[in-house]
Formats: sequence, C-alpha cells, structure tokens
Amino acid sequence: MLNIITCFKWVIDEADIKADAATRKLLFGRAGYKISAYDRHAIEEAVRFQEQHGASVAAVTVAPPSAKKCLKDALSRGPDSACFVNDPSFLDLDPSQTSSILAAAVRGRIKFDLIICGEGSDDLYAQQVGPALAERLGIPCATCVSKLTYAEDEKHIIAERRLDDGMETVLVPLPALVSVLPGINTPRIPTLKEVLGAAKKEIFNVALEELGDIPGPYLKTVEVVAAAMDRRGIRFSADEEGVRSAVNALFKEGVLSQGVL
Amino acid sequence: MDGIWIFAERQEQTLELLNPGRSLADMMGVKLAAFAADGGLAPEYIAHGADEVFVLPPLLPGQPLESYVAVLADEARKRTPGVFLIGATPRGKEIAARLAARLNTGLCSGCTGLHLRDGSNVLEMERLMFGGKAVQKVLCSARPQMATVLPGTFEPAVCLPDRKGVVVEVHSASSSEVRIVSRSARHREGADVTEAKIIVCVGRGVESEEHMERVRELARVVGGEIACTRPIAEECQWLPEEVYLGISGKRVKPDLYIGLGVSGQIQHVAGIRESKVIFAVNRDENAPIFDAADYGIVGDMCRVVPLLIDELGRLLKV
Ligand SMILES: Cc1cc2nc3c(=O)[nH]c(=O)nc-3n(C[C@H](O)[C@H](O)[C@H](O)COP(=O)(O)OP(=O)(O)OC[C@H]3O[C@@H](n4cnc5c(N)ncnc54)[C@H](O)[C@@H]3O)c2cc1C
Repeated sequence: MLNIITCFKWVIDEADIKADAATRKLLFGRAGYKISAYDRHAIEEAVRFQEQHGASVAAVTVAPPSAKKCLKDALSRGPDSACFVNDPSFLDLDPSQTSSILAAAVRGRIKFDLIICGEGSDDLYAQQVGPALAERLGIPCATCVSKLTYAEDEKHIIAERRLDDGMETVLVPLPALVSVLPGINTPRIPTLKEVLGAAKKEIFNVALEELGDIPGPYLKTVEVVAAAMDRRGIRFSADEEGVRSAVNALFKEGVLSQGVL
Repeated sequence: MDGIWIFAERQEQTLELLNPGRSLADMMGVKLAAFAADGGLAPEYIAHGADEVFVLPPLLPGQPLESYVAVLADEARKRTPGVFLIGATPRGKEIAARLAARLNTGLCSGCTGLHLRDGSNVLEMERLMFGGKAVQKVLCSARPQMATVLPGTFEPAVCLPDRKGVVVEVHSASSSEVRIVSRSARHREGADVTEAKIIVCVGRGVESEEHMERVRELARVVGGEIACTRPIAEECQWLPEEVYLGISGKRVKPDLYIGLGVSGQIQHVAGIRESKVIFAVNRDENAPIFDAADYGIVGDMCRVVPLLIDELGRLLKV
C-alpha cells in the first residue's frame, strides 16, 4: 500500500487585503484564511490515489497554533490523518525554513512513498517548498505536474509536466515528491458528512523542540507595500457615442496606429 | 565570495540576465560568469558581457535539464559566487529551489527588480506577493544571494563584439533519478504575446465561439494578438496555455491592452500591470478590472465589440 503525504499551507485570503492608496500600506483588517488554492489540488490528487489505489494519506502543515482550524478543513477533503507542525514562531517563514521544518517533521516520523505539494502558495508563490523539501529528504522530484499515473506494485510514478515549451513525461522512482498544477484535477467540495467526519480523524502535533536544529532564515523581508497602479479610470457609456469617445481617447494616447500602419 | 553567476534554460534568457549581471559585476568589482550547455554559445555570451563562460557537460539521453543541479552545486561550492541569477522558467525555478536548498542559502523567486544597497555588496531584490497585490523587498543573508528572474524583466545585454573572456569546461557529472520518457514540443500558433504591441484579452465573459469570432475580428482590425485569462486556457481550453496572462502565466508590456469580459482578479492584473494603456469592457460596473484600467466601458461585450469594430475599422481603414 502506498503512503502519501500531502503538504498544504494556511494562507490569508488575498482577496480580503485592502490597500491604502496614499501610503501604499496593506490593510489586513478582517481578512480571512483559507487553504492555499494549489494545495487543494494537491490534497485532491492524494485522495484520488487513496480511492484508486488504497493509499493512506497524511496531510501536513507548518503553521502557528492559531491556525488549528485548518486541520478540520484539510481533513474534510479526504486525508486519513493530519500532522500539525506548530509553534508560535512559525509565522512569515521563508521558504527555506518551511522546507527544513517539513523535512525534519517528516523524517523518521511519517512513512511515505510519495509527497504531493501544490506548485506555489497563494501568498508568497515562491514555488520553492516542494523541490527544496525533496532535496532535504534526498528524494527525486518533478514540478509542474499536470497528470500523475501509478501502476500498482510499481516502484515509480509517471508524471506529465506542463512546461513553457511543451509537455514532458518523466518516470520518477519512489519515494518521490511532485508539485502539481491546478489543471491536474477539480477539488471536491466537502459534503456535510465529510465535514463532520473530519472531527473524528487523527491529528498528530509536532512541536519545535522535536525538530532539532532548523537553519535560516536566509531571506529578510525589508518592505512590503501595495503594488502601485496609477490608472486614469475614465469611463464611457456603452452606446455608439461612448464607444466613439473611447476610441478617440485611445487614438490620443498614440497606442493604436502602431499595429496597423 | 565573489562573482556574479548566470544560468538560464535558453539563450535569450541568458542574454537578458547578462544585462543586470554586467551592471552588478561592474559595481561590485567582480567577474560575471554565464553557464552554457552548448560551448558554441560562449563567444556570444562573452560579447554580451560575460567574463567567463562555464560550459556544462552534455546531458545523457533521458536526463532532464534539472540533472544539472548537482553540477551547479559542485561548482558553486568550489568557486563560491556572491550572486547567482537563474532564469525563471519552470525548469529554472525547480533548479534554483533545489540548488538553494543544497547550498543552504536564500532564494528570491520570481524577482522583478534588483539593486545593490548603497555602498555594499548586498542585493535588494523585489518580487510580487499576495497574487500581485503587493511588492515585497528581500535581502539574502547567506551566499550566494540567489534569485530567479522572470523572462522579459530585463532587455538583452548590449553586444560589444571585441570583448574578451575565458571559456572554462565544467567536468562534474550531471545526475538524475528522474528519467524523461517522452517530450512533445508545443507548436506555437500565432505570434508571441509577450512581443505584441496590442493585446486583445478575453475572459470568461466570452461565452461562445460566435463571441470569439467577433473578438478575432477586433484583434485583426487593431493589429493585435489574442490573449486570455487562466480559466479560458485551463478550464475552457479555448486558447493555448501560452497566451494566458498573469502571475502564473505570461507577463506582458504592450502599448495597449484591451480586456473583454475579464474580471480583473489580482492574479491576472499582475501580468498586465506594465501595459502602457489598459482599456476594459465588462458588464459589471464593480469589476476590479476598472480599478486597473485607464479607460472602461460598462456594458455587454456582445454589443460593445461590434461597435468597436465598426468605429476602429472606420478610423484605421481596414
Ligand atoms: C495562485 C493563483 C494564481 C492564479 N494565476 C492566474 C493567472 O496567472 N492569470 C489569470 O488570468 N488568472 C489567474 N488566477 C485566477 C484568477 O484569480 C481569476 O480567477 C481569473 O483571472 C478570472 O478569470 P476571468 O476574468 O476570465 O473570469 P471571471 O472572474 O469569471 O470574470 C468574468 C468577467 O466577465 C464579465 N462578463 C460576463 N459576461 C459578460 C459580457 N457579456 N460582457 C461583458 N462582460 C461580461 C463578468 O462581469 C466578470 O467580471 C490565479 C488564481 C490563483 C489562486
């Protein structure tokens, strides 16, 4: 039987973040949290393996204790158990720390043949944790995976990678790590029964003291400001007159002639 | 600890990275080195600013480009570069992430700007976060200071044909447990959207092939290329992957971006924010695209697009 780990991140919902136009300060006010979008595809892919190949699935996250809510959310999506690697200092970690903490938490503690991560997180989108975790565990990896196939009792998986110049199909010996793209599946919406069932599933806590030495951080954030977007914001009506004025405005900007003349 | 290193999957990205690489090398008073998988490219890299070109050993059949991680890590341990810039293609991003883990250093992913902090050898690196809503500036405390740089961020370096440089053969062996089974190149339909002066971008507001026909006609009238949002490429699969714009797609800098039925979620806007002029048509007056647009029409595109075609066709005489 395959043992699968799926990693997920509990992130602030970027749609709730507002910006103060004058100071370019970000306002987090009542921003909610969610499981990062790509990670929902990672969890779904692990659960597909559970259904099709009888794999056991553990969902792992690194977060401060205040993120505890995320466990039920993750478990309602199908994993058998969750591993909550938590400490109040696990806030705004850099990707090298997150991957080191995950590696230390998994190593010798959770049995695995395959680790499935999302290609990037909604907040940082650094796209590092998957491949960096594979390096730290000394296992092969494939990123940008849009299709995974596994033949039972094989010692490898076949991954289709969607790259900028085409598709690449690779054979990856297990144990291995893959990071997946959203196109790989459609995450299910948990049913009420699944949400209730999540409460009965097993949760392991792993504390900082159990992890040994975590190197880093190596990146220091010196500034975060709202991205500037200075636009005119002029509107025209949707009738002939409005369209004519809009087209006129574009001509005045001098952006229309080039493609044609 | 010195030297600026560059590795990119393709020649044009290497030429782009040589541009900031050369400036940094001059300011820091160190050498600029570029990796080449094909020794034949060395003279060109030297002409574009490299002091040294490290020629990588050829990959064995079935080895992916990522097999160079071991080679790059060996070389970096031996020669201790101060800065390592890598082209942010999908393969480049994996290579960089694994390399940073092996070298125990920090990596600024998807870097959109680099500057030296006054009078120091410390790089201040910029990137987008929160789906493009915010700009994050980071410093790296370990060496090499690493960044993956998005294609198109810099202009290619200036070519000076009589520049001199050294070519060094790298001998460490590439290795990979991952094996390529097959590959299919993507055949490109139409021109490269990143080169287009005018882009007509469609979102989910386009509901039928009939709509698409009108959009194609509009693109023809203005001499623009067609692009789209992610759902149009990924969910509807109406247009190829390489024309969706945004933080996880292509980033473009056209003179004019025309958005039709695009809601303007931040992940999409992140890819178009450097457009000179943004014009949007959306039937929802509260659509966020209007906050990102210079000119907007609140209305149904089925009605507005034919009017645009008529008016533009008349003025542009096509
Ligand atoms: C991590 C992450 C990365 C992402 N990366 C990208 C990315 O790189 N690029 C990208 O595009 N998206 C990306 N997305 C998705 C993004 O958040 C949005 O979901 C997407 O851009 C919305 O596409 P859309 O505007 O086509 O569709 P919708 O949001 O559904 O908007 C359709 C719009 O069309 C309008 N409309 C409908 N009918 C008409 C009509 N007849 N006339 C005029 N207007 C009409 C509606 O009012 C609506 O505003 C990403 C998401 C995540 C979580």
